[in-house]
Amino acid sequence: MKKISLIVILAIMNCSGLFAGGYQVRLQGARQSGMGLTGTSLISGASDIFYNPGSLSFLSNKFEFTAGGNLVFSSVEFRSLESDYIAKTDNPASTPFFFYGAGKISNNWAAGLGIYTPYGSKAQWPEDWSGRYLIQNIALSSIYFQPTLSYQITDNLSLGAGLVWVIGSVDLQKALPYNEHSYVQLNGSATAFGFNIGVLFKPTQTIHIGVDYRSKIEISLEDGDAEFHLPSSITSIIPTNNKFSSSLPLPANLDFGISWQVSQRLLLSLEMNWVMWNCYDTLTFTFAQSGELLNNKNPRLYNNTVIPRAGLEYQIQSKLKIRTGIYYDDSPANDDYFSPETVTLNTLGFTFGLTYHPIENLNIDLSFVQLMGME
Amino acid sequence: MKIKILFSFVLFLALIGACEPKTEEFIGNKGDADFSRYIALGNSLTSGYADGALYKSAQSMSYPAILAQQFKKVGGGDFIQPIVENEDGLFDGKLVLGYSMDCRGESSLSPIDADGNPVGYPAAIQPIGYTVNNLGVPGAKVTHLIFSGYGNPLGLQQDPPTANPYFVRMASNTGASVLAEAMKQNPTFFTLWIGNNDVLGYATSGGENNTSNESITPEATFSYAYELLINTLTSNGAKGALANIPDITAIPFFNTIPAMGLLLDENAANALNDAYHQAEMLIQSMGLPNFSYGFHFKAGYNAFVIEDRNFPYPVPAALRVRQAKPNELILLTTPQDSIKCAGMGSFNIEKQHPYGIPQQFVLDEEEIANIQNAVKAYNNIIHQLATQKNLAFVDVANLLERAKSGISYDGLIFDTKYITGGVFSLDGIHLTPQGAAIVANYFIEAINKQYHANIPKAEITQYPGITYPD
Repeated sequence: MKKISLIVILAIMNCSGLFAGGYQVRLQGARQSGMGLTGTSLISGASDIFYNPGSLSFLSNKFEFTAGGNLVFSSVEFRSLESDYIAKTDNPASTPFFFYGAGKISNNWAAGLGIYTPYGSKAQWPEDWSGRYLIQNIALSSIYFQPTLSYQITDNLSLGAGLVWVIGSVDLQKALPYNEHSYVQLNGSATAFGFNIGVLFKPTQTIHIGVDYRSKIEISLEDGDAEFHLPSSITSIIPTNNKFSSSLPLPANLDFGISWQVSQRLLLSLEMNWVMWNCYDTLTFTFAQSGELLNNKNPRLYNNTVIPRAGLEYQIQSKLKIRTGIYYDDSPANDDYFSPETVTLNTLGFTFGLTYHPIENLNIDLSFVQLMGME
Repeated sequence: MKIKILFSFVLFLALIGACEPKTEEFIGNKGDADFSRYIALGNSLTSGYADGALYKSAQSMSYPAILAQQFKKVGGGDFIQPIVENEDGLFDGKLVLGYSMDCRGESSLSPIDADGNPVGYPAAIQPIGYTVNNLGVPGAKVTHLIFSGYGNPLGLQQDPPTANPYFVRMASNTGASVLAEAMKQNPTFFTLWIGNNDVLGYATSGGENNTSNESITPEATFSYAYELLINTLTSNGAKGALANIPDITAIPFFNTIPAMGLLLDENAANALNDAYHQAEMLIQSMGLPNFSYGFHFKAGYNAFVIEDRNFPYPVPAALRVRQAKPNELILLTTPQDSIKCAGMGSFNIEKQHPYGIPQQFVLDEEEIANIQNAVKAYNNIIHQLATQKNLAFVDVANLLERAKSGISYDGLIFDTKYITGGVFSLDGIHLTPQGAAIVANYFIEAINKQYHANIPKAEITQYPGITYPD
């Protein structure tokens, strides 16, 4: 049997939402999203490529494809601690998406490919806002390609591993203090490798334990284009066309999950995600020409975060399952340094979801995430 | 073969309802102070003088104007300034960045006189006819603020003048003092930043033996006048903030032309050594057989030759020169063309004699010490009075000290360098609007602390810095 799922994710946000934890997006599957974004110890099909490749060999269908996209409208508000100044972003919608395809090769082996965008951020600030010399607008994006293999060692133990190849890009504009219209536009892209490995263990029929590790990936931009828009009187000092290099780390995640099939109808899932944000230490730009004038280092000193999550799934009747979950995502940002490129807000998330199976061969999944920004 | 396909349609709706970030709103608070009638007293820095002139837009972004704007958010009243209805300047024209050609025919970006029509006499001293909250008077020293008649136009004709044309314009009557103009308005809050000119006039005219008869105000005089100011200003229970005097020898006016700024190539260095050898022989022939300047010029940067007011021998004035010490200061007003083409600071080829940079353009070690000692003494007085009278103390000296190594606000780095530093305007002495906002925020910090207030700070990047021409 093939399973094809098409997921339309509409994330309508009026503040920060999915990027709460720095610039990471974790909405990768409908079931997981309903259950507090837990997934490491669940067997959910093709989207396990992201949550835990170790679960993939337990795939119940011969082939399975799932794809989806999010439409995220986010807005960030900046409030100064020392003044009544407020600025609000006018962000374009961002469109994180995913595609997962997996198939059983043999009884013990499964293979799959995931294409997904777990990290991204867009921010567009008003033209005259106070932080325009730090950032006017920015778009960070990354596309992950992850071919994956999973092997079931015993009836209750399975391993999986995926090679991750990433295309990352940055497009950034900030004002320069030479006259009202001076600014610099930076853009560049680069590729990098990483991996995603996981294990799923079933100590009993009803208890599943999952561990997954997604490696840190450092996107090193070399030879990015820097275009300076300057008054002509300063172009003898600063060239208008320049090259820059920079580096953006996409942090490692260590996820540990445990789930318990309490009864025929009830499944509980608990999870902890360690996100190693401390790799985001400084955002540095190094220029090929006039470096002594232009190079800059922006301290970020992000902190590692631990995200606790809990979710449950309940089978009301044969055609209807409902799900709910909760999680708390601490902002990794350091209070001493402003990072206008991403939303940094502690969030409490409540999730709800259901699957309705009205007729054979059709599932309707609904998920709902409610986020609350916390001080 | 029959393939079963299971369609799964997922509608994933992440609707975020209560997602307005619950960040704390800034709540302004005037604390124990009352800003309903705020008066600013001081000198050119207070008046909003910038780029070598007093002109409209710079006045409107003077640090007291920025302060008043922030005070308004915690119940402050209107703040009237003696605005010059002219963007070109009052008396003097302002400087702008532009291209100028030097004596060698090389064009470069530098401060030049703006084309324009500054307001001149007699319109410039015509009394404005309204009461102002900003009583900053360019050129004022501490004793001037208590002097009745500082606004009397007849005093302008005395030698030296006893009146100040900027105050003549503002004074409500010929017998008014700046202090009296302040007290007439019964201020509830005042700021006082005075004392810079008590050393600055001396410093900008090159220190001892200067041609404009500028001297440093003696400590006792300063103390007397300052105390009188404070006693009077607080006599009605007004609260206030006192700013101290930064180390003026650290401002760009004194630090842009380095003492070690004489750049020579091999040939020029040899020629200079020969020329001074000739000069030495001339002095030796005047009955000083062992005389030597002790100069040795080499390719690269050398110390400028300056006039030596302590030259030990009675030789003709032109021969009384020495090399500047690395820590001595050359003024921004030193004529660049004379240095580049006439041999000032090295040797006058045309007239064949040594050509030291004239004393009026140099602060030597002794003069620098005189200035720094005076500032230290003034600052002790200011600090003592602030403590005694429970007034906010604004440590501008510390701010300038910090700025030497660069201070960063909202992605801009400010330091004390000329033009690129962003704090000082094109005259190298007065503030840019961004510099004024930094100073205003320093006042706000001190006032918030002293009076348990929470006045919002100004957004520095909302004010302009130095604009480069297209």
